[in-house]
Amino acid sequence: MTAAAETAAAAATLAVRNVSMRFGGVLALDDVTFSARAGDVLGVMGPNGAGKTTLFNVISGVQRPTAGTVTLNDVVLSGKSVDHVASLGVTRTFQTPVMFWGLTVRESVVVALAAREFGRRYPPAPLRALVSSGLGSPLRRGVDRALREEADALLERAGIRHLADRATETLAFGEERLLELARALALAPTMLLLDEPLSGLNPDEVHAVLASIRGARAAGIGVLLVEHAVGELLAVADRVVVLDHGRKIAEGDGEQVARDPVVIDAYIGDELE
Amino acid sequence: MISAIWQYVLAGVVVGAIYALVAAGFVLIYQVTGIINFAQGEFAMIGAMTASSLATGGMPPPGAAVIAVAVAAVAGGLCYLCAIRPARAATGVTLIFITLGLDVALRGVGLFAWGTNPLALNAFSSGSAIQIFGGVLPPQAAWVLGTDAIVFVLLYLFFRHTYAGTAVRAAVANPPIASTFGIPLRTFAFWSFVAAAAIGGLGGVVVAPITGATYDMGLTLGLAGFVAAVLGGLDSLPGALVGGFVLGIVEKVAGGLVSTGWEQGVGFLILVLVLLLRPQGLLGRAVRRA
Repeated sequence: MTAAAETAAAAATLAVRNVSMRFGGVLALDDVTFSARAGDVLGVMGPNGAGKTTLFNVISGVQRPTAGTVTLNDVVLSGKSVDHVASLGVTRTFQTPVMFWGLTVRESVVVALAAREFGRRYPPAPLRALVSSGLGSPLRRGVDRALREEADALLERAGIRHLADRATETLAFGEERLLELARALALAPTMLLLDEPLSGLNPDEVHAVLASIRGARAAGIGVLLVEHAVGELLAVADRVVVLDHGRKIAEGDGEQVARDPVVIDAYIGDELE
Repeated sequence: MISAIWQYVLAGVVVGAIYALVAAGFVLIYQVTGIINFAQGEFAMIGAMTASSLATGGMPPPGAAVIAVAVAAVAGGLCYLCAIRPARAATGVTLIFITLGLDVALRGVGLFAWGTNPLALNAFSSGSAIQIFGGVLPPQAAWVLGTDAIVFVLLYLFFRHTYAGTAVRAAVANPPIASTFGIPLRTFAFWSFVAAAAIGGLGGVVVAPITGATYDMGLTLGLAGFVAAVLGGLDSLPGALVGGFVLGIVEKVAGGLVSTGWEQGVGFLILVLVLLLRPQGLLGRAVRRA
């Protein structure tokens, strides 16, 4: 972590406190408590049905927890809408990447950059955004160029600069993943929730995604990472939280968790031997 | 004969320009919210009636026009806040029925506020009729067409050249992902109603000197605007412009050649043909909404 990122990290903490989520008779999350810091990668592990995706849905505002709170720097996120949570600095990706069809790769990133700029100018009213973005003024040309260059830099870092002018409909699955990640990083979130970003990727693409995650960490972004590829997850995560049947059964650094008999018993089995 | 048809075309262009403004309101709201707002024509009525009654009361026309557009915009915002937002969990069909109810309610308010007598509004500028290749247009037609040009250019600049416009386009393309970008869909829905109502109100203001203003003018304008929007493509603002002019011209030419009773009938004939032959409209995309 850089010095600047360290300052940001000291300030930004995502806290999940006593969160439960009940669907009818099923307790998908059972009194889960942990915290994640900006500038760290927090791995979230657990077998299928452990509650990982529900946890992401609760943090990102897709679902309201039955009990407990989620806060970012003591600002309560739980109960707020997805766009409100995102505007407060917590955004996410999905298990299946979703593209903006009809846009090119570069335009997709520009849209995210524009959303970020709009968000910064948004309160109190779109009318102000309309004025402050220089409707029809020559200044806009400079803004367009700046956005374009920033988009290209993000694509370069994601390793897909060569795809910039391709239509998103024509991308392969792995390329979609890399674009989705670049798009999310374009929002410059405080916390980024990645839901199985490595699934379905070839080794080169896995390498590129892991490099992007490390880059995000170096930039002071906190990453919550749900991933089935345990080896890769343990390699990149600073700390790991393990869920099983909605409960947190372990927390610690990768080595501690990998050695924890409860974890081995409940989930990993002899996978790590 | 040719000169008569040319005159019908010119008249159609003027009416079509108003249809295009109302259609733009349909498209704006449909794009952002997925709702077809059948109360759209009433915003034009509110604009026309407010401006006419203020001007009759002695207010200078520019001031009356500005206030009329503002009143229409407030009505649009209230429609969203009071009727659409509380029902946002409802299905599309329910929301369409709500807008039909709004249409009736707003017409009732118009009747209550202004009564059944038609009001007149003076043309914005005096002067002789405009001659175009032997055809004649009233001076007010220049205001109507100028308003169209300004509104559509502003809409184009907004959607193509502002962060907010880009954010709206992203939200329309893919609402779930747009919300992870922090794009506030509900706020945009509110502003789409305000903008659509202001544009409709402006259309009512500029057309009032030509057609006069009555409490029930919104029904005809709303239906014509809807046909124009479907004709051009419900998801296309350029389509609203093209659809408005095509409908206006076809109506006036058919009305002139056959009988004026045919004017509206032709519009609905077009609607049926478009829905059968090219449901996405002239300029709309066949792609389904995400």
